[in-house]
Amino acid sequence: MKSWNPESVQNVLGRTKYIDDLPEPAGLLHGQPVVSKSAHGKLLSLDASAALALHPSVRVLTARDIPGENELGTAVSDEPLLVADEWTYRGQSLALVLADTRSLARRAAALVKIEGEELPVVTDPREARAKGMIILAPRTMRMGDPEAAFRDCAVVVSGRVESGGQEHVYLETQGATAQVRDGGGIFVLSGTQSPTGVQEAVARNLGLPMNAVEVDAPRLGGAFGGKEDQAAGWSALAALGAFVTGRPVKIYLNRKDDLTFTGKRHPYSSDYKLGLDAEGRILAFEVDYYQNSGACTDLSPAILSRTLFHAAGAYRIPNLRATGYMCRTNLPPFTAFRGFGAPQGIFVMEAALHKAAEAMGVDPIELQRKNLLRTGDSFHYGMPVEEARTERSVERALERSAWDRKRTEIDEFNRTRRDRKRGMAALPLCFGVSFTKLMMNQGGALVHVYRDGSVGVHTGAVEMGQGVNRKIQKVVALTLGIPEARVRIERTRTATVANTSPTAASTGTDLNGMAALVACEEIGKRLSAFRSESGLGDAPWETLVSKAHEARVDLSAHGFYATPGLFYDGKAERGSPFAYHVYGCAVLTAEVDVIRGTYRIDSATLVHDAGNMIDEVVDRGQAEGALAQGLGWALLEDLRYDGTGKLLSDTLSTYKLPDAHFLDFPLDLEFLADAPNPKAVLKSKAIGEPPFMYGIAGYFAVLDALKAARGDRLRVPGFHDLPLTPEKALDYLSGVIP
Amino acid sequence: MKRRLVFRVNERLVDAEAWEETLALDWLRRELGLTGTKEGCREGDCGACLVLLGERGEAGPVWKAVPSCLLALGELDGRHVVTIEGIAAAGLTPVMEAFLDQGASQCGFCSPGFIVALTAFLVEGRIDPVRTLVSIEGNLCRCTGYGSIRRAADRLTKDFADLPRDLGARLAVLGKRGVLPPSLAALMTSLPEPGSRPAAAPEGLNLGGGTDWFVRNPDPEPGTGVAFTDRQAGLGRIERTGDFLSVGAAVTVRAFFEDLLVRAHAPGIEAFEAQMASLPIRNRATLAGNVVNASPIADMTALLLALDARARLRSASGTRDLPLADFFLGYKKTALRDGEFLEALLLPAAAGPVRLNFEKVSKRESLDIATANTALALRTEEDRISWARLSVGGMAPVPLAARAASEYLVGKIPDAATAREAARLALQDCSPLSDVRGSAGYRTRLLERLVLAHFVRLFPDRGLLEEFWP
Ligand SMILES: Cc1cc2nc3c(=O)[nH]c(=O)nc-3n(C[C@H](O)[C@H](O)[C@H](O)COP(=O)(O)OP(=O)(O)OC[C@H]3O[C@@H](n4cnc5c(N)ncnc54)[C@H](O)[C@@H]3O)c2cc1C
Ligand code: FES
Ligand code: FES
Repeated sequence: MKSWNPESVQNVLGRTKYIDDLPEPAGLLHGQPVVSKSAHGKLLSLDASAALALHPSVRVLTARDIPGENELGTAVSDEPLLVADEWTYRGQSLALVLADTRSLARRAAALVKIEGEELPVVTDPREARAKGMIILAPRTMRMGDPEAAFRDCAVVVSGRVESGGQEHVYLETQGATAQVRDGGGIFVLSGTQSPTGVQEAVARNLGLPMNAVEVDAPRLGGAFGGKEDQAAGWSALAALGAFVTGRPVKIYLNRKDDLTFTGKRHPYSSDYKLGLDAEGRILAFEVDYYQNSGACTDLSPAILSRTLFHAAGAYRIPNLRATGYMCRTNLPPFTAFRGFGAPQGIFVMEAALHKAAEAMGVDPIELQRKNLLRTGDSFHYGMPVEEARTERSVERALERSAWDRKRTEIDEFNRTRRDRKRGMAALPLCFGVSFTKLMMNQGGALVHVYRDGSVGVHTGAVEMGQGVNRKIQKVVALTLGIPEARVRIERTRTATVANTSPTAASTGTDLNGMAALVACEEIGKRLSAFRSESGLGDAPWETLVSKAHEARVDLSAHGFYATPGLFYDGKAERGSPFAYHVYGCAVLTAEVDVIRGTYRIDSATLVHDAGNMIDEVVDRGQAEGALAQGLGWALLEDLRYDGTGKLLSDTLSTYKLPDAHFLDFPLDLEFLADAPNPKAVLKSKAIGEPPFMYGIAGYFAVLDALKAARGDRLRVPGFHDLPLTPEKALDYLSGVIP
Repeated sequence: MKRRLVFRVNERLVDAEAWEETLALDWLRRELGLTGTKEGCREGDCGACLVLLGERGEAGPVWKAVPSCLLALGELDGRHVVTIEGIAAAGLTPVMEAFLDQGASQCGFCSPGFIVALTAFLVEGRIDPVRTLVSIEGNLCRCTGYGSIRRAADRLTKDFADLPRDLGARLAVLGKRGVLPPSLAALMTSLPEPGSRPAAAPEGLNLGGGTDWFVRNPDPEPGTGVAFTDRQAGLGRIERTGDFLSVGAAVTVRAFFEDLLVRAHAPGIEAFEAQMASLPIRNRATLAGNVVNASPIADMTALLLALDARARLRSASGTRDLPLADFFLGYKKTALRDGEFLEALLLPAAAGPVRLNFEKVSKRESLDIATANTALALRTEEDRISWARLSVGGMAPVPLAARAASEYLVGKIPDAATAREAARLALQDCSPLSDVRGSAGYRTRLLERLVLAHFVRLFPDRGLLEEFWP
């Protein structure tokens, strides 16, 4: 067999077991949450009699049945597991119905009568802020003196930027199965990126110590951040059901429930002001982000901090002020999603730069190139820019995409064609890697070398398609000097590797791969000492291992890694929050149908800095997949709530994500050569999130074409309201959007 | 209803008393434990639940990929379902290996659906690059961005360029080359005999492909009586009867576009197939279901209205014909009476072929419901339009036949002024709503442009584009 990813082999054979595929334990009950039907209200009464009468197996649990603390919030305690008095968004869990079958549970849940008093609903972040509905305090990062610098600017532009939310649409929906363990306690099989987070939530809700709760995370059918914090509630509910009834309980949301009940990428509304000198060098930037945080805090603070860290995009800005407000609205708590606040910030920066280009009548690429970060500059949070690969990436991308020639061709096309116009845009990338919450930058691993020479590896990393297991398998094989096929990556479980950070922030391999490497080095050290002591010479691995075992050498090791060099002073907003940065550049071209207002992406050229890749197939897949999601966010995916907080795009027939036709364009992807990264495992770089930003180039490529349809593309004002749906495109073409 | 069903699943013959209206997806996963078939949406939009379905055609079995989340168990009687487990029974296949070489499976949840879709593509045996992409258009993948999947599919297109035309020979080759286990491939050349006669119950609930009904009834109660139009003799045919082209109730969207009589009547009509749903849906969806569902933005209905179709309604007491435009009484309300069903759609063909254009804009270009759609069919004599039918969808509670515009066009020269006036008249009948697919204002602006686009497309030599968009 070729050296395929062993887990992918199971996938294509259809043999991978996701949560809903596993055989159900005997006596299993299915759980269905009863949720609020409006976005804000006071719970007056909950009448379960009709539900209970439906079938003898039906049980209905409410907040009163929770033996521990009725709370899921970690940053701020504002998210009950089951609402006891006031619901704050539509789709919030009020009760849990249990029954023998899934359809019984669903029917019974529909029979639970809720009486409540409606309370005012706010869905708009600016309105929330005006009403003082802010989570924690506003946060500001500052460098230099923007107020003063604006006075020296030759060009000052300002504007407002909107970016919409985004639904994760992991193809496998949220789910968990919980069982009471022998000797008390609870075992949960959870579709989570954060097994420890689930363990902690279950322990807290049930009033148990963490060691009484074991959480296993099988391979996930996609997650993208949506199963970071937001998997905890479903697992905790299943655990509650099992704890109260003593029977196994499974909760598995159907698509519509998943879309309605769970949080998504944060929508942002932002105001900016950008000042440049006459040559187009940025002198000052001010920005206010109104983050629509939803009804509960969830991960909003960490997400906002990543927005603030990425306020300047890939540019050098000597004077900057960036302020973020977490605006509490009556929508499901917005949460982690690939990019984690960075795309929203970078989009504002790019919008500002494009606006400045319009004011100056120059091509945006000129301003982009003129202001790129260089080694020796300083980020606005005080961290020095080390080994910037911005210019390198941009110049290479322009060359590879034949930018100048293409620009001429496009201009010529636009001169001669009435029904179609083309456009092009670039996005230079700079993305910081590490959890913005310092404490989370640690990883653990437990490596067993079995006495036949095969190796079992446990880490805190959860495989969700991003290839972390594949990479760790290679790291271990390489470090021990054995074939990959001898290394097996085990399912993630809290009982083998404890106190893990969620698999998120693109750090899965950086942290867990490094921890595995540390463990392997420890075992390697013992084995090589044994090799020389015992005079085994160059005996093969298997012999060495079995002899070592006979000689009672410990063949297991725990490895631990904490990213070195990180510090941050939250008061001063200064420090070194990232282990390193990822660079790159995308060039996208697009074509607009001027009659119908539709468009398509024509081509993409990506030059991306992935360090020394551990697995090129995985990295290519991550880059392509991230671009796809970025384009979906920028152009297509239209998350809609109405004014009452009801989700309108609540099915896959109304929420459209990219399909194979949408993404049917040539994609030229080059990884930067000779770009080792001394700061991560085997000199690699994290890859999960950074290429998501390239989707932003899709927005500006389409906008460039639309501008060409309206007149002089260098001067016509654009608009910055993402996603750029066909509706907005036509509104812009017909002047409804000025 | 519960009745005896006999069908094959992979290599095993099933003979069971079962509720017909159970979803095949649930039954495969729960009763047979075939969990390789996934549920990603339960509404036909993601393809994670695709299975291969073999049904009787004119010349032996016909195999297609269909969504099992919209498929009634009763539809399996006398048929053969192949799931990922059947395909994988002898280990990795070339389709799977192409996926592995390209890294086309990340989280893997979508992978079985894609493997089934591409296996169906090979089993159907009409291999060309355009069809390759079409074969996976009903599958969503959230992880890969499709690049790796397309590379895998393209390789298969090359590797399997010349498959035999005859199904038996083709299946033998696919068996030999490991695309299917040879024993399964051999079984796929014939179908089992049905277990019982299905109800022919025009009084009850008639289902075509179920691609609308199951979306609205994702958990059908056992005991819902259903009759399947594709089980009733003669309803699957398109034929010329007198002055009409008769399209039977069980004719699928795919069969309609592939039909030679239809293509001769409206040359170029096949170009619009891609704008309707996805291949797996078109494999099941019927025109009759599209019409009876009475959705204001139904695409086939827009086409049928422009083709001036009549609806033939049958009840115990006989048949009556109704102009399709009169069939729609209000939002999702039709002229269908109790005990009546739609037997056929009749296209008047005596006056010869028509020139047809169809315009649809949706948020996503493919596999999406229209924000607005419109079709225009016409005939010309010399310079002038001699007959015209314009239809409009998404602009009112019902699909509209734009009668005033259609009448106005007769006798006109198709110049810019004519097109503008037709658009104005068409919009007079419209009362669009704002919803998740677009605002009322947008719909109005869009529709006007789409009507103009008809003329740009149908009369490319008249310089209309330059006049409309100087
Ligand atoms: C993923 C997806 C994408 C789709 N995309 C499109 C699209 O792009 N454009 C579009 O127009 N539609 C689309 N649809 C809707 C649907 O596929 C079509 O309307 C289809 O033509 C319905 O046909 P059917 O045979 O499946 O209907 P069914 O679901 O079988 O029936 C629909 C209704 O009509 C009744 N009915 C069916 N046949 C008869 C009959 N002969 N006599 C009396 N009553 C009858 C049924 O009882 C039912 O109430 C899509 C659906 C899905 C799931
Ligand atoms: S489950 Fe998505 S198409 Fe059937
Ligand atoms: S591989 Fe995850 S959805 Fe396709």
